[in-house]
Amino acid sequence: MTSSSQFKQLEKLGNGTYATVYKGLNKTTGVYVALKEVKLDSEEGTPSTAIREISLMKELKHENIVRLYDVIHTENKLTLVFEYMDNDLKKYMDSRTVGNNPQGLELSLVKYFHWQLLEGVSFCHESKILHRDLKPQNLLINNKGQLKLGDFGLARAFGIPVNTFSSEVVTLWYRAPDVLMGSRTYSTSIDMWSCGCILAEMITGKPLFPGTNDEEQLKLIFEIMGTPNESTWSGVSSLPKYNPNFSQKLPRDLRTILQPHTKEPLDDNLINLLHGLLQLNPDMRLSAKQALHHPWFAEYYQHP
Amino acid sequence: MSSKFETQLLLSRPYLTRKQLLKLQSNTITDRRTYNQKKIAIYKFLSDICIQLKFPRRTLETAVYFYQRYYVFNAFETELCYTVATSCLLLSCKQVETIKKANEICSVSLRLRSAGKVTPDIIDNFKKRVLQIELRILEACAFDYRVNNSVHIDEYVVKMGRELKLDYQTCHLAWVIAYDALKLETLLIVPQHTIALAVLKTAHELLHSRESWPKFRYSAFETDEYSVSQAYFDILNFFINSFSICDLRENLPAGVPPVSIDTFIELKKNAGHEFGLKEASDDAIEADAYLTTPRDFSIRERRYVLSPKLVADEAQQKNFNNHR
Repeated sequence: MTSSSQFKQLEKLGNGTYATVYKGLNKTTGVYVALKEVKLDSEEGTPSTAIREISLMKELKHENIVRLYDVIHTENKLTLVFEYMDNDLKKYMDSRTVGNNPQGLELSLVKYFHWQLLEGVSFCHESKILHRDLKPQNLLINNKGQLKLGDFGLARAFGIPVNTFSSEVVTLWYRAPDVLMGSRTYSTSIDMWSCGCILAEMITGKPLFPGTNDEEQLKLIFEIMGTPNESTWSGVSSLPKYNPNFSQKLPRDLRTILQPHTKEPLDDNLINLLHGLLQLNPDMRLSAKQALHHPWFAEYYQHP
Repeated sequence: MSSKFETQLLLSRPYLTRKQLLKLQSNTITDRRTYNQKKIAIYKFLSDICIQLKFPRRTLETAVYFYQRYYVFNAFETELCYTVATSCLLLSCKQVETIKKANEICSVSLRLRSAGKVTPDIIDNFKKRVLQIELRILEACAFDYRVNNSVHIDEYVVKMGRELKLDYQTCHLAWVIAYDALKLETLLIVPQHTIALAVLKTAHELLHSRESWPKFRYSAFETDEYSVSQAYFDILNFFINSFSICDLRENLPAGVPPVSIDTFIELKKNAGHEFGLKEASDDAIEADAYLTTPRDFSIRERRYVLSPKLVADEAQQKNFNNHR
């Protein structure tokens, strides 16, 4: 934007799925904002992702969801003006890497971040909105320790995409096993699986299931959570991509897997919460509301 | 004007009263008769595309809202209106999640209108024009998607009909009437769930004139008596004044007695004094810059917000800065 704009464009913050994001300054109010410049597609026009993001985020007003202030039309460019956040969870965790060794966050911070994540997700679900692309890059944080959900470009509207509009591949790491096996009846549980993966990643500093394709992703999940069958998950064999020849694995102890990557002892409540979020069967997974009432968060809901 | 203002902040006003609409349209529609005739042709055209591409009613409804809203703020020209309508439909598909490739929509649009061969080059050129209008339509709606995001008339006819314990035939008839209701400007005046209640009431009165309309609090349905009445009388007036172009006549559900202009005149007579949304005085309308000043699309940066607080905060800060 030129000097004639209400906003002073500052440094580039990154490239989103369908947009480039800059830091900006509202010259009247002095408030920093994030300016998301939408790339207009020469074949399809205004991306439907942008339209969905505007429509959903203008309605979602919650302290753990990034606020969309306004939409600017300048000549042939569309810019969404969002609340500015200093950082995202991915960059924050990367910044704590020592040498080549990723470091987990302090458990008190993990708890505080995860509580806020669940509050934001719970509000979305109450508003009948699925985020569908929860991952550390989409969780924005500021130096007050606040965490907010951002990037609603894939929310609710569309099937889980394999490719973004650029050649960048949407990460599989936080994708639920039912979706990986082709379920099209997914609901809020899809976001809860992602919350479980993010919780584990905050503890260890490393993604829990870093697959590179659908098959490997499922293999990594089954290696830790066990291979599902009709007795553990009724209906699993009817899913389109269910394979009766999946390598049969027994569930492993999550504490044994996670504890070596963190200095603090992992208590039973935390492991229990992880189990609740990482249930293979979507019907068995905790809801955001249930997770917020989990004993691991007792200090928050007992002493608000 | 553009040299004076480099940036403009606009608060969304998704619904306007009839008088407010007329005031705005006085800047954009010079020949109202032609506009209305074209609107009916466009409605048929959009319906035909929706049938060919198997779009649900909500896609048509949203496209019609966009089309009418576009001409509240943009000059009406007969040559362009089919391109605008196609653009409205493309946008509607994105909005209500009935995604189709722009090429496919443009190709059907062209085929329905021209007898000649539709070549890829022709489609491509047409698509360019269609895409150019898309952002203008979004601007006309102030990027305000609360209007068409989740509430659609046909869906609410069913939901509210069930809630009010109306029988299947009434709801079916209401659903057919709702198709005609989309031809009205009422879409720009009251929200869709209010129109749904009004068509249910119309259907109920047509089928069960001896039974009174169920008693309930309009607030329980997030609406009010004035808004429902506005939509109800709009619908009755349409059937009385434009019965020849209604689709209801030829599409009455089985078992519903035939209807005529007289049927609706009778309904209107029984409805008592006609009332609707309260209109502002002429002076107030003349004093409202939103209604009297034509949109200046040459202003380089046009910002759209939904929250009055954001506008107030910025105005307050601007005053403060000016006085420092």
